[in-house]
Amino acid sequence: MNRSPFKEGVKAALPIVLGYLPVGLTFGMLARQVGLTSSEVALMSLFVYAGASQFLAIEMISRGMAGLSIILATFFINLRHLLMSSNLSLYFKNTRFLILGLLSAQLTDESYAVAISKLPEIENRPPYLFGLQVTSQLAWIGGSVAGTFVSSLAKGTEWGFPFALPALFICLLVLQIKSLRHLWVMVMAGIFSLFFKWALPGNWYILVTALLASGIGILIETARRGQ
Amino acid sequence: MRGSILGIILGMALVTFLPRFLPMALLSKWVLPEKVEMGLSYIPVAILATIVFPALFSDGARIGIYPQYLLTAFAIFIFAWKIKSLWGSVVLGMLIYWLLGFVI
Repeated sequence: MNRSPFKEGVKAALPIVLGYLPVGLTFGMLARQVGLTSSEVALMSLFVYAGASQFLAIEMISRGMAGLSIILATFFINLRHLLMSSNLSLYFKNTRFLILGLLSAQLTDESYAVAISKLPEIENRPPYLFGLQVTSQLAWIGGSVAGTFVSSLAKGTEWGFPFALPALFICLLVLQIKSLRHLWVMVMAGIFSLFFKWALPGNWYILVTALLASGIGILIETARRGQ
Repeated sequence: MRGSILGIILGMALVTFLPRFLPMALLSKWVLPEKVEMGLSYIPVAILATIVFPALFSDGARIGIYPQYLLTAFAIFIFAWKIKSLWGSVVLGMLIYWLLGFVI
């Protein structure tokens, strides 16, 4: 076994790398078509590092939309990270501000999901989370910059790659079903998410559903303890 | 590097950083009420279900029933439940999805 927590984190990131490379490649190719340069793509993947928002941004740039509306859309898409960041705060109680800044800047849905599946290992071990996240982000930056050079000659994102990230998330979801209560929360979140995705604009369904379903978790657990 | 693009990138960087950073920075210094901690412990399963379920009924863009997607997802659910391997799930998921592409 690896003794260095950083190396353990790097290893834990490998399934994410497999998912990020093709998506990053696709992003780079599209960004290139919209007229972004390789260095602009690199800078965006380095400083923004948010898949959905970056795709939306190049779409809006291509339509000549105002910068402010792009930034506002990005803000709303990424509000879901409020919940993930709150959750992770439980496990980094003794970590310094500056380190927290570094760790949180690289937070994504995927790295969050992998991190909480490795709970005993990440707790109060910033190098583990850093190794996990820096590897993931390097794959994202590398993939997206490479994509700007591929142009459109390879529609190279087929094969099984469209299912790499969904498969990762399904397995991570299954790993979180730790009790009957968790199963109930999952089922409720599944039903709510389908409803709210249809009923609410943009990405709001993620925040609303996750809050409601966790609330149900609190109710079930409180009721059980009361008996 | 054009100034307008740079401005957009910096603005996006700021608004993505804040929701990632503020809860971690503030909540890690506070002692949270028991109910809040309890609620946070359900956030992982809730948020993952919220990401997974709508994705099962879409091909990434449009909502609908896509057998190639649903069947692969079902197989991975079973596999992940039994084997609990991240790597295995990702590789098997890609393989099944790719193979189903020839059939469906």
